[in-house]
Amino acid sequence: MKTDELIEALARTPETAQPNRLYRRVALALIIGLVLGLVMIRLFMGFRPDIGVTAPMVAMKAGFSALIATFAGGLALRLAKPIGGTTGTIRRLAMPLVLVILSAVAIGLITLMATEPGLRFVAFTGGGFPWCIILIPICGLPTAMLLVWAMREAAPTRLALAGAAIGALSGGVGAMIYAMFCSIDSVTFVTIWYVVGIGLASALGALAGARLLRW
Amino acid sequence: MRAGGAILTPDETQLHTWMLSAQAGDPVATRCLLDGLAPRLRAFFRSKGARPEDAEDLVQETLIAIYTKRAMFDPEQKLLAWTYAIARYRMIDRWRRTGKRGLDLPIEDFEHALSAEETEAGDPTRDIARLLGDLPPKQRTAIELVKLKELSIAEASAQTGWSASDIKISIHRGLKTLMRLVGTSATGDLS
Repeated sequence: MKTDELIEALARTPETAQPNRLYRRVALALIIGLVLGLVMIRLFMGFRPDIGVTAPMVAMKAGFSALIATFAGGLALRLAKPIGGTTGTIRRLAMPLVLVILSAVAIGLITLMATEPGLRFVAFTGGGFPWCIILIPICGLPTAMLLVWAMREAAPTRLALAGAAIGALSGGVGAMIYAMFCSIDSVTFVTIWYVVGIGLASALGALAGARLLRW
Repeated sequence: MRAGGAILTPDETQLHTWMLSAQAGDPVATRCLLDGLAPRLRAFFRSKGARPEDAEDLVQETLIAIYTKRAMFDPEQKLLAWTYAIARYRMIDRWRRTGKRGLDLPIEDFEHALSAEETEAGDPTRDIARLLGDLPPKQRTAIELVKLKELSIAEASAQTGWSASDIKISIHRGLKTLMRLVGTSATGDLS
């Protein structure tokens, strides 16, 4: 087909563009993903038994996760649209998220220093393997799958980066969900391992994004 | 428009304005926009080392992408940066699909097809019809009625008995499929 003919065919009766469709879909993906994840964790692992008494801690952990999700979400929405090539632009866009994560890790390390030497190991690991780094990405999986669906409306041109941002967003949502189960309230544990869990989700997102986000 | 050449190289401001009108559903602006972008895209792909016939395929894929994804343009963005980002993406996507940079394709095989197209060109609907033949029936019908026979969505809806949104979705999906077909028709049959 000749290009002129293609243009002619395309330009006949164009419809009004609907930029909000993407945002509606993303909102829907986040809400359904959160609910699905909560149902999942309630069914398979149960909420922490003392959730009534420890509500402030749960809220803190969920809030911390939501903060990261918010910054990752902003980045994901920007990367959903075509973005020019320079590394500088992308670095600038990612900066807020990176700063939030760095300050979280810094807070974690400072509190670790402030902990009595004998208790540091427990504060750091929560007394065993930090399962949250596996469970956070799993809790975020429904959100991630729904976000991939939402992104079909979008036009990402940096697939791995967009995937990483979506992964971090899903990981943030996953961490909010996981906070309902997690019974370790040490600041060091949460800031370090939650971030590692979300980072793992982000890395998986970068790998999967190159494949799943093609259009 | 092309023959008249009233607007030879519309500048970015002009293209930007057309894009906003295209987003609002203005067919003339849509056409001006795509017409104005095509030569720039052609130059872009050639500057990236694509052979002329590959470049044309890429131009077409990119134009379809610009059209179907025009909602993804923010008025605050720079139109050309946005356009070239899509062009660059389509080029990378093509390399991924073809495995390589398309350098080792047996060109003779479709040289024939190209020259045939050159001599018999003239009936636009026929060439489009050939591509449309690969679409699922519903998408094909929707595109034929609205894009080729220029019926309104409502008329097409009345004629087929499908709901308006059903038709819109079919057109949308069909165009997406078409975008893939334009990209693979040159290479897909050969491998």
